[in-house]
Amino acid sequence: MTLENPFQDPLRFERRVPECSMVIFGANGDLTKRKLLPALYRLAYERRLGAGFAVLGISRTPLTDDQFREKMLASVKEFLEDSPFDADVWTAFAQGLFYMAGDFDNAALYPALDAKLKEIETARHTGGNVLFYLSAQPSQYIPIAQGLAKGNVGKGLGWRRIVVEKPFGHDLESAKTLSAELHSAFDESEVYRIDHYLGKETVQNILAFRFGNGIFEPLWNRRYVNHVQITAAESIGVEGRGAYYQEAGALRDMIQNHLSQVMATIAMEPSATFRPNSVRDERSKLLRSIRVLKPEEVLQNTVSGQYGPARIGGEDVPGFRQEQGVKPDTQTDTYAAVTFFVDNWRWAGVPFYVRSGKRLPKRVTEIAIQFNEAPLAIFNGEGNQPVPNLLILRIQPEEGISLKFLSKRPGSGMTLRPVSMDFNYGSSFGERSPSAYETLLLDAIIGDATLYTRQDMVEASWTVVDSIQHVWDSTKFDFPNYDSGSWGPKASDEMLARRGHLWRQP
Amino acid sequence: MAASGTISPDRILREMSDLWVSLGKQGESDAGVLRACSMTLLVAAEQSDDPQAIGETLAALMPEHPSRAMVIRFAAGDQRSLAARVFAQCWMPFGHRQQICCEQIEITASDASLPDLAAVVLPLKVPDLPVILWCRSARLFHLPAFPQLSAIAQKVVVDTAAFGDAPAALKELNNVVSAGHLLADLSWTRLTRWRELIGQIFENRAHLANLPQVSEVHITYHAAAAPATAYYMAAWLLEGLGKIGVKARVMFAQEPRGLSERLGRVELRAAGQSEPIASIFLADEPVAEVKTGGLTNKALLPWLNDYSLMREELSIPGRDPSFARALTAAAQLELS
Repeated sequence: MTLENPFQDPLRFERRVPECSMVIFGANGDLTKRKLLPALYRLAYERRLGAGFAVLGISRTPLTDDQFREKMLASVKEFLEDSPFDADVWTAFAQGLFYMAGDFDNAALYPALDAKLKEIETARHTGGNVLFYLSAQPSQYIPIAQGLAKGNVGKGLGWRRIVVEKPFGHDLESAKTLSAELHSAFDESEVYRIDHYLGKETVQNILAFRFGNGIFEPLWNRRYVNHVQITAAESIGVEGRGAYYQEAGALRDMIQNHLSQVMATIAMEPSATFRPNSVRDERSKLLRSIRVLKPEEVLQNTVSGQYGPARIGGEDVPGFRQEQGVKPDTQTDTYAAVTFFVDNWRWAGVPFYVRSGKRLPKRVTEIAIQFNEAPLAIFNGEGNQPVPNLLILRIQPEEGISLKFLSKRPGSGMTLRPVSMDFNYGSSFGERSPSAYETLLLDAIIGDATLYTRQDMVEASWTVVDSIQHVWDSTKFDFPNYDSGSWGPKASDEMLARRGHLWRQP
Repeated sequence: MAASGTISPDRILREMSDLWVSLGKQGESDAGVLRACSMTLLVAAEQSDDPQAIGETLAALMPEHPSRAMVIRFAAGDQRSLAARVFAQCWMPFGHRQQICCEQIEITASDASLPDLAAVVLPLKVPDLPVILWCRSARLFHLPAFPQLSAIAQKVVVDTAAFGDAPAALKELNNVVSAGHLLADLSWTRLTRWRELIGQIFENRAHLANLPQVSEVHITYHAAAAPATAYYMAAWLLEGLGKIGVKARVMFAQEPRGLSERLGRVELRAAGQSEPIASIFLADEPVAEVKTGGLTNKALLPWLNDYSLMREELSIPGRDPSFARALTAAAQLELS
């Protein structure tokens, strides 16, 4: 009979976390320093990790365990943001940090890694559980997967999982190839494709809002929703990542993954249970229901943009083509807007406008659901204009939910004015929200894949995006077509205007 | 605004309504105020209880548990007297433009007027939301008319650390809970982090496999006599061990150092073994040393103030079955 831990109290304790070793490929990289180690330290500080939790960092640079610990200490201190640091907790946590230098293409690395994992397992009682984390260059994903497969690395008594950072390929074909390589070492259920947007509290709160309340779901369909706008705007440019971004573009970098996942969360059917595969099945079904645009429909329903130079706040800012590492005639999109349609009974005919861009006026990510106007405008006249109800789900920076509706202005007469009913996530729940990486890392250790992306979801969103990207690749755009600091190309406004709609300016 | 002698709930409700109008006017020039409320929080305190400390605790609780707070301050006396004032607790979340405000009502009452209070509090509670009563004094809890006030609340929060004789207090609380009332004890809340650490240790299969060998539970404390936390911890551990068919002896001991009312060490030991199977030792407050299977780790177990304890209790408006079981077992605990 299996012995169950009798000391659990789910009402008061956080989730149960098993011991494990975490192997980070690319341990000297930016992601490890800025996100992974600070998130892991934060979990240790919150007493969420077991005493034997271990991290084995791997990268090319030769370092001793102590040098690695020193580097990670500096990173944690620098990138911990508003969280406190405790030297004693760090000292205990750092005992579990180990390092191996190695070239991911070198087959000799993998037997050595397997031996090191066994050593850690013995010393720290990790039960043979291993979480691999691909924080390396995407071009190294396949050699690492092949090395792990050939070396049978970490195969033993415990579980093995692998977390993969985006991009999951650069098109449908490469995504399939990557999955096939990963499957040579791991079952799909062991592959955790991370999309940090899904780890954000407010994205998770969409599920709570939709499926925890009875009053909204009856309105959540084509009968009441006029259209949906999803905006992910950044005020900054490519910030030194010009060379990388030039190969990606806004459509691939944001819409294929983050925003299509957000759209799926907004539009999916209720899942029967909150089990990982149940939720992911519904998300996947929704992604497969997004209409794939025919080549002749693409330019009518999408807008590609690229920012030009401008003067913002008294400062000259360069256009994309003037950024370091960017070709002066590049056709890469720094702005992408798409009109999606979901071909199912719930959403037939409802446009989902999705846009993302760099160098827009402000950093904001939000979803605006515009409801149909009242069927009869009995208050028109007396200066009253019909104003539709809006439900706004703000993801960042001020996470919350607002409902805009009309109210009578105090005084004589029947003048209506729009008012806003606000729920502010940060102020209603004043405790610190865990970072997306804390949430997602813990989920991977626990084995909860609800917020991770599955192969079929990746392939469904690439199918949709590829149809657009192919047309864009064969079109010569007259770039730049929007000024830095503006809300994007005029063509984007025109795309909505064709259906009588207007972009919100958040 | 204060009145002496009697309180009219209607007048207080009017004052609250005026308060929101005036807050709204103040906010017209900027983004206005946001009203937030998720419960009615009644605080029963002694007149001598530090009003500033209560105010600061409530202000700290408001962002996470916005509530209509009613602080009732009792003074010993035979004369029936009641007075009330209404004000708002507002805060501006960092980086935001809109103030968030909650209502606060302060009532002063004599012991003799306790029977009159229920009729005042009942119309002032926020409809459709839970009512939690935080009783900060053992004396008030024992007043004959206290049940009339506590009957309004879904849950009553007390702190047996203030009750003195822990075994007697636990028996008394157990009687209240057995009668069907929802109760919370901050002495139990103080143990959450300790318990969570123990729970985490035995998530490891290797450590879990050693658990059936446990024959002794050693608990030390920094107090003149074993506090309620020690009884709760012992009861909870024995209950957990009992689930896997293990019977163990509990041994209490006093720590020489003087950290008031705190646990010092919790150890699960097997007969004939020099090293404990698991041990948590509050070595250098707030740092605790966690030892198990040859590994030593450090974790923070800071002293929890009223805010931290109430924050946790307000998050559990319903029944806490683990607490109910631990209370029953603690009240019946017989030490070896």
